[in-house]
Amino acid sequence: MSMLSFEQKYRVRGGTLVGGDLFDFWIGPFWVGFFGITTAFFTVIGTALILYGAAIGGTWNPWLINIAPPDLKYGLGLAPIRDGGLWQIITICAIGAFVSWIFRQAEISRKLGMGYHIPVAYSVAVFAYISLVVIRPVLLGAWGHGFPYGIFSHLDWVSNVGYQYLHFHYNPAHMIAVTFFFTTVLALSLHGGLVLSALNPPRGEAVKTSEHENSFFRDFIGYSIGTLGIHRLGLFVALSAGFWSAVCIIISGPFWSRGWPDWWGWWLNLPIWS
Amino acid sequence: MAEYQNIFTRIQVIGPAYPGVPLSRDSVERQGKVGHWHLLGRLGDAQVGPLYLGMTGLLSVICGFIAFEIIGLVMLDSVNWDIRQFVRQLFWLALEPPAPKYGLRFPPLNEGGWWIVAGFFLSLSVILWWIRTYRRARALGMGTHVPWAFAAALWLFFVCGFLRPLAMGSWSEAVPFGIFPHLDWTAALSIRYGNLFYNPFHALSIVFLYGATLLFAMHGATILALGRFGGEREIELAIDRGTAAERGGLFWRWTMGFNATFESIHRWAWWFAVLCPLTGGIGILLTGTVVDNWHQWAMQHAFAPSYPPEAFNALPDPALGGAR
Amino acid sequence: MSYALKAAGAAAALIGGFALLFTFERPPMDTVQLGYRGLGIEQVVNPRLERMTLAKNAIPAVVPQVGAVGPKASAVYKNVQVLGDLSVTQFARTMAALTGWVAPEQGCNYCHNPNNMASDEIYTKVVARRMLQMTARINAEWKSHVQETGVTCYTCHRGQPVPAYSWAHNDTPPRSAGLSVGTAGQNLASGSVGLTSLPYDPFTPYLSGNAQIRVQTPAPRVMPVKPGIKDAEWTYGLMMHMSTSLGVVCTYCHNSRAWYSWEESPPQRTNAWHGIRMVRDVNNNFITPLQPQWAANPYGPPTGPVQPRVGLHGDPLKVNCGTCHQGAYKPLLGVSMLQDYPELNAVTNIDAPPPIRQ
Repeated sequence: MSMLSFEQKYRVRGGTLVGGDLFDFWIGPFWVGFFGITTAFFTVIGTALILYGAAIGGTWNPWLINIAPPDLKYGLGLAPIRDGGLWQIITICAIGAFVSWIFRQAEISRKLGMGYHIPVAYSVAVFAYISLVVIRPVLLGAWGHGFPYGIFSHLDWVSNVGYQYLHFHYNPAHMIAVTFFFTTVLALSLHGGLVLSALNPPRGEAVKTSEHENSFFRDFIGYSIGTLGIHRLGLFVALSAGFWSAVCIIISGPFWSRGWPDWWGWWLNLPIWS
Repeated sequence: MAEYQNIFTRIQVIGPAYPGVPLSRDSVERQGKVGHWHLLGRLGDAQVGPLYLGMTGLLSVICGFIAFEIIGLVMLDSVNWDIRQFVRQLFWLALEPPAPKYGLRFPPLNEGGWWIVAGFFLSLSVILWWIRTYRRARALGMGTHVPWAFAAALWLFFVCGFLRPLAMGSWSEAVPFGIFPHLDWTAALSIRYGNLFYNPFHALSIVFLYGATLLFAMHGATILALGRFGGEREIELAIDRGTAAERGGLFWRWTMGFNATFESIHRWAWWFAVLCPLTGGIGILLTGTVVDNWHQWAMQHAFAPSYPPEAFNALPDPALGGAR
Repeated sequence: MSYALKAAGAAAALIGGFALLFTFERPPMDTVQLGYRGLGIEQVVNPRLERMTLAKNAIPAVVPQVGAVGPKASAVYKNVQVLGDLSVTQFARTMAALTGWVAPEQGCNYCHNPNNMASDEIYTKVVARRMLQMTARINAEWKSHVQETGVTCYTCHRGQPVPAYSWAHNDTPPRSAGLSVGTAGQNLASGSVGLTSLPYDPFTPYLSGNAQIRVQTPAPRVMPVKPGIKDAEWTYGLMMHMSTSLGVVCTYCHNSRAWYSWEESPPQRTNAWHGIRMVRDVNNNFITPLQPQWAANPYGPPTGPVQPRVGLHGDPLKVNCGTCHQGAYKPLLGVSMLQDYPELNAVTNIDAPPPIRQ
């Protein structure tokens, strides 16, 4: 059950970065590895602490559970467990689990003779998370600048932090990030749709080829980027979305203290207009 | 580690341009000179063109151009035809929908009438482009997944600019044509109707937005990582599973216990991408028409968190008359 | 494209990108927490900009206080209408202070005919009298906004005959034809609303008119027309003005997740609510009635700086949040100059309709 028909021949030893073949085995479909152990370690502790936080927080409603960072007065020091210390340990666990996951992906890539694109891509997402809970708080001088762990409480944080800059849509990096997000969705729908439309032609038609894909896109917009190119493009726009999201929040506060619309003053005041 | 990771194409082979799969008989000729652009070839295919224009394509471009011109000329007028100010304030300028007092009536051209005219031509343009997309897919004997995905985006476009204003009984609720002004509109929509973050369909839409980005990163990275096994030959591998498809599947199976196939990953992709504007459009359509204040709605349905009040001493509404 | 062109383009992009870096600020920043932890109700302040704010809000030297000796001013001088209850010594001190605050370069003659000090022939004297009444009214009736700090002439004037920050009607474009008349009131880069493209004259409806500012339900009053997105943009414009005039952010007065909710709003919002009513009182009962004076002297008195006293539509320059606050969360950073000048509270005869507080 846990093994696909062709899987046996791929389940070979080697490829690990750490621990030799000590953890080089599978549990069900999962490969374990040293970083699988560390991932599980951080995940179990982090999840248990979230449950503990919920237990002392007064609600088990999953929409309302809120594990908030410390008050700003604690600066970059440790806070009492009930006053944000929990948030600090959970953050450490989350980063531990995410970074372990990167290395686990790298080990599995090695095992299967693949490139490292997946761990590199995933590390951009982890970088965006670390920007929010480590880089920006450190630049502003207090862990309390991190976002709270809760489904709707983190949206309240997003709202209030956005309005600290009066109108967050005027943040230039936010504009770039949102543009990349929308572009990614557009490109993904086009790519998914194109492959499905070649594989699922109308009743009675033969399955189509990548030459049909190329022809469709040239007919459609005059250019077809090709089967390899679309994955390069897709990876680029998706990672750019994550990267510029991280930039847009890092610059909000550490590198700009006023309303974002005000930033555009440099453009309006260029000497070329007078 | 220091091996080449297939980020760019290093060697380009330039052959004669490919004219494309022969078209069915109800199509016209493909247009345009075919060229090769070296820089494009570094990333993907170097061939540019030919293009199929056709009647719907031609009309779509003309309608789009009319809308574009109306918007641009109104913007230029709003800075008194001063080209320098036009460039300086371009991001701030807009073609604004009519004032609330006009409801759904047709206002004077210079008080929002042009907005309706431009909106009409833009709508015509995208609908014609949709028809074209559908017919191009059929002309090649392919499925219609691309046009239906495009239709999901059109749904959001028409909800914002047509269906919701219709339901609200006023064109003034619609989106202005302009860079910063449409962002002002977005913020004002959320402010007026009590915080879009508490709109569950908005939340779903964001989940699909981020989810689609995650999926494309995962999928794009997987295919590139399988470059040395020819992983980009997705059609072939979906039908006749080769080692690239096996390794790609096993990577995710070993990583997270589950994997898609070379065909089903594109179904996941299509649905995530399509559901983003679909749920977003539903969320916008309900805003103001069914729910007037999303934060209050969230409180009624017990999903708005509450916070300890001791942080500051909140005072009562002064408009209720000296309760202090 | 030649290589020279490519190289020039690359160099220009590099220089442009590098220059862009200098449009930002840099850490370290000062931060203040105003709400529950993790809620993001905070204020980020750039200490390097704060130094400039401190310098701008320096307090002028106090004119030495004098005792209430001698006869009343009304018994000695002619045509003393509002400061008549002061003793002549206090009267003289007040006149000296006023001159320093409002017209230090022009001196007494900015308002007075040196040959006949009692004469009202120079219009600025009439204006000054009305402004004294206004100051007394603010300090007596609007403690809900100015608290015990109070205001003096210096709060707005800062040594200038015309306060640096004011507004005049700009709600309609100066032309009535054209393709874009219907965009009236928004979609231009405007400093009055913090460089957004929001409606750039939120003052006419909200700070001289009493248009409904609240756009979210539940509104306390039944509105004749249900507000829409455009109404929210007008309110947003006013709020941009308030924030930039005070150098504070939205969360200074609101929990942005529920703008309408007073239960979740910091108490500063109540103070601001009274401030809006105070500004309406000032504009409608003290500034606008003087319109004929300024209309007759649209560029000021002969001695004064040649500077417009009326706006595009002929209405006087009026007061908004920036007139007093001038970028500070409290005018002059909360220092009470009024305490050194109790004479300003001795103004009699504040003839104005009662303030409206709703």
